[in-house]
Amino acid sequence: MIQTLLYGTTIGAILYFFSIGLSITFGTMKIINFAHCMVYTLGVYFFITLLPFLGGIFPAALAFAMLMVVPVAYVMERFVIRRLYGESLDYAMIATYAMLLIGTDAIKWIWGNTPLPVSDPLGTAMTVLGVSIPVYRVIIVASSVALFLSLNVFFKKNIIGKIVIAALDDNQGVRCLGLNVDRYFSIVFIIGSVLAVLGGVLYAPISAAEPYMGHDILLIAFAVVIVGGMGNLTGTFVSAFVLGMVIALTGRYYSQAADTMVFVVMAAVLIFRRSEG
Amino acid sequence: MGTDLHKPDVQAARKGVVWREIAIIAAAFLVLTPFLAVHRVTDFMIFCIYVMSFDLLYGYMGRLSFGQMLYLGTGVYVSTLFSLHISPNPLLSMLAGVAGGAIVAGILGLVVVPLAEAPFALTNLAFNQVGFFLIGSAFQRVTHGEDGISSGVEPWGFLDFANEYVAYGFVLACLIFAFLVLKTLTRSPYGILIRSIKENEVRVKFLGYHTFFYKWLTFVIAGSFAALAGTLYTLYIGFVSPVFIHPLNNVEVIFAALIGGAGNLYGALAGGVFYMVLRDSLSTHIPQWEWILGILLLIVVFYLREGITGFVRSLTRGILRKMAQKKAMEEA
Repeated sequence: MIQTLLYGTTIGAILYFFSIGLSITFGTMKIINFAHCMVYTLGVYFFITLLPFLGGIFPAALAFAMLMVVPVAYVMERFVIRRLYGESLDYAMIATYAMLLIGTDAIKWIWGNTPLPVSDPLGTAMTVLGVSIPVYRVIIVASSVALFLSLNVFFKKNIIGKIVIAALDDNQGVRCLGLNVDRYFSIVFIIGSVLAVLGGVLYAPISAAEPYMGHDILLIAFAVVIVGGMGNLTGTFVSAFVLGMVIALTGRYYSQAADTMVFVVMAAVLIFRRSEG
Repeated sequence: MGTDLHKPDVQAARKGVVWREIAIIAAAFLVLTPFLAVHRVTDFMIFCIYVMSFDLLYGYMGRLSFGQMLYLGTGVYVSTLFSLHISPNPLLSMLAGVAGGAIVAGILGLVVVPLAEAPFALTNLAFNQVGFFLIGSAFQRVTHGEDGISSGVEPWGFLDFANEYVAYGFVLACLIFAFLVLKTLTRSPYGILIRSIKENEVRVKFLGYHTFFYKWLTFVIAGSFAALAGTLYTLYIGFVSPVFIHPLNNVEVIFAALIGGAGNLYGALAGGVFYMVLRDSLSTHIPQWEWILGILLLIVVFYLREGITGFVRSLTRGILRKMAQKKAMEEA
């Protein structure tokens, strides 16, 4: 049971890393970003490619992968997403889906279709209450909590964060103050993309890298964002862990239904909370 | 609606227009046939029915769904299972499939219809995922999961789908039927109402309409026509697998509706054919072709919002204007 709980919190942490970018993008720009999972997958492939060059040092490769995604995210934001501000949601969804198609094919073209395994960087386990627990997973969970706290500080104390939060609430009002909201949005977009890569790389040793690895998590992350409330940062944190737990618990009893159960929960939430949607 | 519409001569003129439209569609597909194989065009026509069902929802009512595959898949699987376990009659299987699609859409519509925009699209996607799971994993014993099953449909009277010309004629008839029904619907006061919902739902509510019911009805009609396309796949291909309900395939129909020009049944037909031709020709030459689709989608979103039909329309309008100018110049 402790194993299952740990698995649930691990999945929840990864989901949180991934969903935070989606949630911010939706909250600030009203854009459902399908290309988010492309960035996630791309980051993992960057990481795998870089790892041998950096002497197999996991954190160094992770940092470089996160850095390498920045220009990609910038190009996406500058040339596609920014042109979609204020457009109808449909076109934004379709345009980001188009980027996903292009990006996925590029990944397949460069790295091929076969899944690439990533080994557990620590490989050690510790024993808690007589159950052996991989230290690596504990680190994932701890870092997600740390991220949640630091994001909270960022959005409450830092001026960029404050502007973004204000714009989330009233975009026009912030514009009227003479602030260039778009620039702050693009900063937040890049932060979201980088966090997705962080989640992807941390998750890679648990699964494996393959071109469609982002697609599966994307659907679940949509559920996380909807359940947590779009653009609601605390809500995203809570719903990521709740849904991660749903996946782990369902997976324990009926593994094939794990992903589907998430959508059942999401549908239930939507039915009971119609007005927000 | 002006009262003069009900005058007999106007109605007669309209009837003439309808016949002309049928003739144009039939002629277009018949002309297409010599260039491609008969079975290809049959395939295209089924896809076009599916695109029209999506277009009713997206183009006319302005609700983008990322889960229309669910209804196609319901049609496919219900008709297949019906033909295997209850009756091999093709028409009855079709009826069962369409009824299945309508029932699923009716039930899920109650949940989905109050939503709009992103939650609508994503909830549909979620339900599609659930349906895919049910077909692909949960009811594996009945559906054989990823392996797929052959349908049990047997020829009935002249309706023998092994004969590709019979299949072609039957699918063409179904296409024209679907086109006529949807055309009539979208031209009726109901059609105007759902287009008003797209423009501004709050105002429609102010006018005293119960928009929930009309949205639900549209959802069910769209689901039924998608299921109709699905049953035709069952009859025509005779072998079904979860590909027909896979959530990731939803992009196909969105792409086809957009590139043809959303909110226009001719656009749906043009987009359906264009997409299928593109897919067939690209996938035979290039192993990875989806990025081309991506680039085309971006072009459509940024430069060609009205799709092919809009492009053609503005082109002809431009030519006509030029001709008129020339005429005016000559006269002067």
